[in-house]
Amino acid sequence: MASIELLIIVTALSGVLAFLLGRLNQVLGSVVTILASMFVFISVAYYGYNDALSNAIVFLPFVTFKVTYLGLFFAIIVTFIFAMVSFFNPLFVEKYKYPAAYSMLYLFSLAGVLGVFFTNNFMALFFFFEFVVWTSLFLIPMGTSKRATSSYYAFSTVGSFALLFAIFMMKEASGTFNIVSGMASVNGTEAAIVTVLLAVAAFAKLGAFPFNVWLPRVLGNSPDAISAVFSGGLEKLGAFVAVLAFVKLAPFGYTIDATGLQVSQYIFAALGALTIIFGTLMAIRQDDAKKLLAYSSMSNGGYILIALTIASTVSVAGGLYHVLGHALASTAAFLAIAAVSRQTGTTKMSELGGMIHKMPITYVVYLIAIISMAGIPPMGGFISKWLIFQAVIDKGLILVAIAVFFGSIGSFLYVFRPLASLFLGQELPRYKDKIKEAPVLMLVPMIILAGLIVYTGVFPNFFLDYINNVLVEAGMNVLVLGKYTITGNNGILNPVLIAMSFGVGVVIALIIFVTMKKSKKVGLMDTYTAGNFIYSQELMHYSLDFYAPLERLYAKYINITKDFYKKLESYVVSFGQFIKYYFFTNKPEITVFWIIVLMLVVLWGDLL
Amino acid sequence: MIYSIIFGVGVALFGFVLQTSIAGINRKVVARVQKRYGPRWYQEFLDIFKLLSKRSVTHGWIFDFGIIMALGGIIGTAMFMPITQDLIAFANYDNFFIFVYLIAVGSLGMAMSASGSGNPLASIGVMRALTTMLAYEVPFMIVVLTIIKITGTSSVTGIVQFQQLAGNNWFIIALPLGGIVGVMALMGMVGKKPFETYVAPAEIASGPMVEYGGKQLGMLFIMHEITVFIEVSLFVHLFLGGADNILIFIVKYFAVYTTINIISSVYARFKIDQVVMFFYKWPLIMAVTQAFVAIYLGWVI
Repeated sequence: MASIELLIIVTALSGVLAFLLGRLNQVLGSVVTILASMFVFISVAYYGYNDALSNAIVFLPFVTFKVTYLGLFFAIIVTFIFAMVSFFNPLFVEKYKYPAAYSMLYLFSLAGVLGVFFTNNFMALFFFFEFVVWTSLFLIPMGTSKRATSSYYAFSTVGSFALLFAIFMMKEASGTFNIVSGMASVNGTEAAIVTVLLAVAAFAKLGAFPFNVWLPRVLGNSPDAISAVFSGGLEKLGAFVAVLAFVKLAPFGYTIDATGLQVSQYIFAALGALTIIFGTLMAIRQDDAKKLLAYSSMSNGGYILIALTIASTVSVAGGLYHVLGHALASTAAFLAIAAVSRQTGTTKMSELGGMIHKMPITYVVYLIAIISMAGIPPMGGFISKWLIFQAVIDKGLILVAIAVFFGSIGSFLYVFRPLASLFLGQELPRYKDKIKEAPVLMLVPMIILAGLIVYTGVFPNFFLDYINNVLVEAGMNVLVLGKYTITGNNGILNPVLIAMSFGVGVVIALIIFVTMKKSKKVGLMDTYTAGNFIYSQELMHYSLDFYAPLERLYAKYINITKDFYKKLESYVVSFGQFIKYYFFTNKPEITVFWIIVLMLVVLWGDLL
Repeated sequence: MIYSIIFGVGVALFGFVLQTSIAGINRKVVARVQKRYGPRWYQEFLDIFKLLSKRSVTHGWIFDFGIIMALGGIIGTAMFMPITQDLIAFANYDNFFIFVYLIAVGSLGMAMSASGSGNPLASIGVMRALTTMLAYEVPFMIVVLTIIKITGTSSVTGIVQFQQLAGNNWFIIALPLGGIVGVMALMGMVGKKPFETYVAPAEIASGPMVEYGGKQLGMLFIMHEITVFIEVSLFVHLFLGGADNILIFIVKYFAVYTTINIISSVYARFKIDQVVMFFYKWPLIMAVTQAFVAIYLGWVI
């Protein structure tokens, strides 16, 4: 038996311990983060899976816990991501300005995450939600940009206030802060408003359109390890709220006959579709590998939203599986890029090349991660995308389907970009002799993640079986699973068979390759150049503006959301100036004006 | 199980032999269009076997590994392809999405290997190939969405069965706009002019293939032939009602491949941005119109 309360307290206390030890020795502090987050993950996963987590409260005031399958599903994923990323902390900690505080905040946000997923009290949910925001807020500026923090804070605030309003409305209706009874007691217009407010919170947290501005800034500029945590872990808080908004609350509006969906579902799905298209198009044109992965996170968030809004058995299963698949894949990809960044000092793809020759294991991890992200079998991303496709086709959502397919093919384009220009291509001389493979401590979590990505792609039924519990809890039908097969709306999938046939194909290809004459090894500069003499590796390396012809087609439209928020910002600023001018000034004419107004009001009252 | 796997490998081999022969015959057909004689029909076989037997160069382990992954992925995909309703290795598991996404493993392997050669022309070729894919795939998938929505199954044999039921037309007739989109997307898939921008021999020296020779090029040729087999047979199954027996399959297959070859033999090459603009204009509009008409209004001929 393990108590959730104790887990949270232990995590928070070990955060304090990490701070104190970190003041003595910065690496020691970060080692505490590894031990504590591994401890939390193992306890949550082991006791949670065996139904042995206790809700008992002894020490904490006002807080109550209730273990749900949904919360446990998210908690296991996110604590796992925290645990994996924590292995990177000792090797990165020297770069930060406040290493001890970094270790502390890392564990504090983990404690907050546990609270969010396990509480059954809305006020506690809000408290933990804000706790995560405030702790992660101070982790971001230890990277390269301070502006990213304010952007994150602004959008988080929108989400938090929306959540708070929704909570107050449900409290008003039910009289308690209990999540289940609160959500059950709203109906009619109230329910609609609550859904919209929760959706705003979910969209803001996931970085979905139109709240997408913070995501690439934060993920692109945070410390490398924190980017991975955000993309794989903290962003998933948004998916958790989205489940509350779209699956647990009934959709509203009238039914659109052709699709069998309610208007609200269609609108949210359309926003998810826009998220996918925006994320994909922006990811294609990034030069910074981390920003590229950030936009890819945004686009994958769109898939999760579409899946959850459709709210059928297959789609919700697909959406939840996508949460898992994307958490693993994007964390692995971010960690691989972080490893490159640590060895070379940059994440700009145009400045890198040929990393594969020095960092082959990192390369393989990245390769497996992107195969999953692009939704190609035999990796986990394929299973979830297949389920989501099934659901979208079953409902006949043509316009949403355009986005879904566009994002899926577009992901081939952007995930290949770092592969081609960062890992492959010419080996640039400035890195040739200085670079080594990443240290073992970094390779361990990357290899574990890569292994799990393959496992989720070949044997998804273990995880889908668990997702079925979540579906039952939400009052939905279960996904039909065979021993190795998955049955969707209009077809059966056998992932083991796919992996096996791929293996057979590779064996045949290997036999052909080995039996034929051995090739002579030549250098990378010994290539066909159509009669031109090119002497330097830089000139032979095609990496800048990789998709230039495609980017040109939409270059005009890339700043739509940014411009919108700039305009909004200028309105807010001018409104603030207006307020400041009339209320917080010491100009005599304004004072005289207010005196006159006051006198008029008094006189008016006197006349009455 | 073992039997099914051997059968699947047999399908891949059959596809290779069929497509290589038909490609050879088509070289003669195109030659006649251009008032030449053209090579013998088995010339393609000679080319491949000669290449496999030659000694060549390699640019590092990823250069070789990519090739193995490419050919392996394509053979793996071909194993799922039904030829007729009974000639199929893994019945019930011939899901449409496997063909679209497992084929991508092969393409990814080839792209990886090409980029690993360090030749910028290869990277440019890969960039163009992926961009072309982004162009043709979306309209095609919308048409397939329509088909799956109408038939209620995404199993390829299931779609074939639906078309063969009394009262149902082949989808190229039942969904005429979608059929046209299918033909255009097929031309993009197999890389025929005007969509062969990513190979463009005179411009970027065969694109991804620029650095290959010997057994690597031979294996890529085999991979290419099997890829074309998968794509063309998919068209036959989705739009032309599949086949009852192997002979009809070969006839239909030959007709489709020859038709797109003849169309392509009189076209020039698009620029890559023109390819994207082309597919996101009429084919996409036609595909969406077809989907609306067929799904929401229920007008299927």
